[in-house]
Amino acid sequence: MSVASLRSLEYLEQLPGTVFTRLYQQPSTALAIFRRMLPHLAKTFVMAMLYMPEPLPVADLEAWVRPDSSREKDQALNVLERLHILPSSPRAYKLSDSFAASLRLALTGGGNHRSFGVPCSTPDKHQVSIDFLDAYAQRQWETILYYVVSSAGTGMEGGVEISNGSKTLLQLGNFVVEKARRPTITQMGFEFLLQETNGQVWNLLIVYLDNAENLKMDPVDVLSFLFTLGSLTLGQDYSTANLSPTQIQMLEDLADFGLIYRRSPDSIRYYPTRLATTLTSDAPALLTSTAGPSASSLATATSEKSGFIIVETNYRIYAYTTSPLTTAILALFTHLTLRFPNMVAGKLTKESIQTAITYGITADQIVSYLTTHAHPQLRKTHPVLPPTVVDQIRLWQIEGDRMRATPGFLFKEFAGEEEYRGAVEYADTLGVLVWRNDGKRLFFVTRYEQLMGYFRNKPKKGAGAAG
Amino acid sequence: MPKATPGVLVQCDPSIKAIINKIDAERNDYIIEDIDDETCVVKESKYKELQERLKEELKDTVKEAEESGSD
Repeated sequence: MSVASLRSLEYLEQLPGTVFTRLYQQPSTALAIFRRMLPHLAKTFVMAMLYMPEPLPVADLEAWVRPDSSREKDQALNVLERLHILPSSPRAYKLSDSFAASLRLALTGGGNHRSFGVPCSTPDKHQVSIDFLDAYAQRQWETILYYVVSSAGTGMEGGVEISNGSKTLLQLGNFVVEKARRPTITQMGFEFLLQETNGQVWNLLIVYLDNAENLKMDPVDVLSFLFTLGSLTLGQDYSTANLSPTQIQMLEDLADFGLIYRRSPDSIRYYPTRLATTLTSDAPALLTSTAGPSASSLATATSEKSGFIIVETNYRIYAYTTSPLTTAILALFTHLTLRFPNMVAGKLTKESIQTAITYGITADQIVSYLTTHAHPQLRKTHPVLPPTVVDQIRLWQIEGDRMRATPGFLFKEFAGEEEYRGAVEYADTLGVLVWRNDGKRLFFVTRYEQLMGYFRNKPKKGAGAAG
Repeated sequence: MPKATPGVLVQCDPSIKAIINKIDAERNDYIIEDIDDETCVVKESKYKELQERLKEELKDTVKEAEESGSD
């Protein structure tokens, strides 16, 4: 799963069960969650159980999975349970009714739920092309990014103005804080900048969702609409007629982010852009040059996403870019020395990396940024980045922080070796185990909810297996 | 039934752990569970403060190597 879907998964998880029941009434939501958030094995389970009239006994489901893959099985079931798709029960599994009904509707069609958007019945006099939508989306989104990056005070300020709504949102999301009347970037902001576009969009949308209630908007309505957007077709115009008041209100904000395009605020139609239609898919959210020749018309940062950075073993960096946004991002962790019309050059120094780390950027983020944007020429080598440089970036980081910290829960005072073994192994299969000390019978996990369930169900489980 | 305690797991070198212990010894309000000389669990609310204190301590003890600025 990508970072983006993890982030949205985290958001969804903390919603109460009743919200899920309402969400799953929308076929588009059920389909989007199915497509985007579930691991492959979980998808297989859902598809197999979708048309089952009776609950599936636990033993039968276990029979589907090879014994050596029980870890994957537990993880899949874990995700399904967290999303309230497959309520946990000790004896038999059955998909949640509303989810199953909606997914069936989504797959087979039918019903008059209209959750996949309603195309405009009349042709638009000013039909817009996909190229136009891409350029629009990119311009809107990059303006937001540029606003964030310019608040880093790297000497790249260009007096960027974005709408007050977006500004407030960036502050609420703690990407940028107002200091002495000047916006200043935060650690979250840096992480935000270095993510791939789809992850950025979700991050911002989740902040939007968190604040929906303050704006008197119904979060379920907002979320449903986002999932609907994810299922729309690029280049098609959709009617605003069947949208709820909340969703109409959203259109304006989404247009600010570049997710949708409307010619005027009272237009009866809206066009989703690529940022919106890729919300629930793995396709790149902004056009890259691999997407076709039309991409060459987008002469800024993202059109070069196929790769423009060369890293040499002597820590020098050359980036073929014309975009101030990319230059500004590079300047966050590179000591830039030369700037040409189509290229910037610089060097990764201990100082530049450690400054970035004090901002809250991690070495892994820097390495992954450099790798994703590596020049095709650099890609011919394997590994892509010179290992010495990668190692050195990591070492510079370790030098800065000398302890590894993981928030979570310590389990102690086990009754005996057997109880300890069982619990620690279960924690390991769940993928929540961080550290264990067998001698002292202590272990540390990131989440404890499921482990508590394990302790509660354990006597029952034993009896069930025996009988 | 075992006990679950919320906190931050800190893993570090013995040398750093010694400094953490020294900081904690003043008022005993950081460490919840002192495990061994490379591991301990500290209070989540106090972790940031501990980080700051550690940085302070290190500033005095560790001398940064000079950067060879050959550009």
